[in-house]
Amino acid sequence: MDLLPARLAWYIAGPLMGLCVVALYALANKPLGATTAYSQTLSAARGKRFEAWRVWLFVGFIAGAFVAALLQGGLSFTTSYGSLGRHLPLLLLVPLLAAAGFVMGFGARWSGGCTSGHGLRGSASLSPASLAATGTFLATAIAVTAVVHFATGGAL
Amino acid sequence: MKGVALLVGATFGFLVAAARLDSYQVIHDMLLLREPDVFLLMGSAVAVAAPLLVLMERARWRTPFGGVMTVQRNPVTRRNVLGAAVFGTGWAVAGTCPVPALAMTAGGSVLGAFVAAGLFGGIALRDRMDRDAETPPPAC
Repeated sequence: MDLLPARLAWYIAGPLMGLCVVALYALANKPLGATTAYSQTLSAARGKRFEAWRVWLFVGFIAGAFVAALLQGGLSFTTSYGSLGRHLPLLLLVPLLAAAGFVMGFGARWSGGCTSGHGLRGSASLSPASLAATGTFLATAIAVTAVVHFATGGAL
Repeated sequence: MKGVALLVGATFGFLVAAARLDSYQVIHDMLLLREPDVFLLMGSAVAVAAPLLVLMERARWRTPFGGVMTVQRNPVTRRNVLGAAVFGTGWAVAGTCPVPALAMTAGGSVLGAFVAAGLFGGIALRDRMDRDAETPPPAC
């Protein structure tokens, strides 16, 4: 059952995501960010002190995405991974993606935010730290992607 | 407060998945500068939120659950930039980031779960290093 378009247009999703940032500030005076939500969820799972609202934010991320998947045609359990999955065997893909996730998590926590915390919330707040971080991770990611693209002869 | 966080998180997660930000190919094509949609999405989110935050802050907006609204603004530090460069490297390889990795997993991607597991591991290591050095990371 496809109740959603295959891809919601940027001019609908973008402004609504901006309003999510505003809503969390306007209702609860809290900054929207995923990295600290991961960190606090980990603390909760380990039985350590944690900020409950961040864990609920984390649960919300998953629940909302789950509903969208249902409305976009239902869940599909898959091991496909775009062009990366077509060029690498699963045995190599699993450790590569886990390692990339590890690097991302380490870097985001070190930086104090990721694409949501710095890229959206912090940039919308005109925070100098977030503007610098967003410029840096965008430039780095574009450069690394270009290197991989040329190193693989355009395969990736 | 918890209900607000759940509702905002669910809306955000829904939009991430609905806009296909949970697709490796969408993010990879964005980073190859092949399509502008994700840049436009991020830009429009910031363009909508920024003036509203400024106006509400100037009006000393009183929130129902958190007192007078205060928007966090931090000066640039070395860790902001170095951490962002490390984050950007992982983002380029995985073609996903923290919320989209959760959205991938929620949609049934087995490999998305490995990215999310890696994210937990990297965050745990950095948190431990910060605890040992007694320098708490800036909350985002």
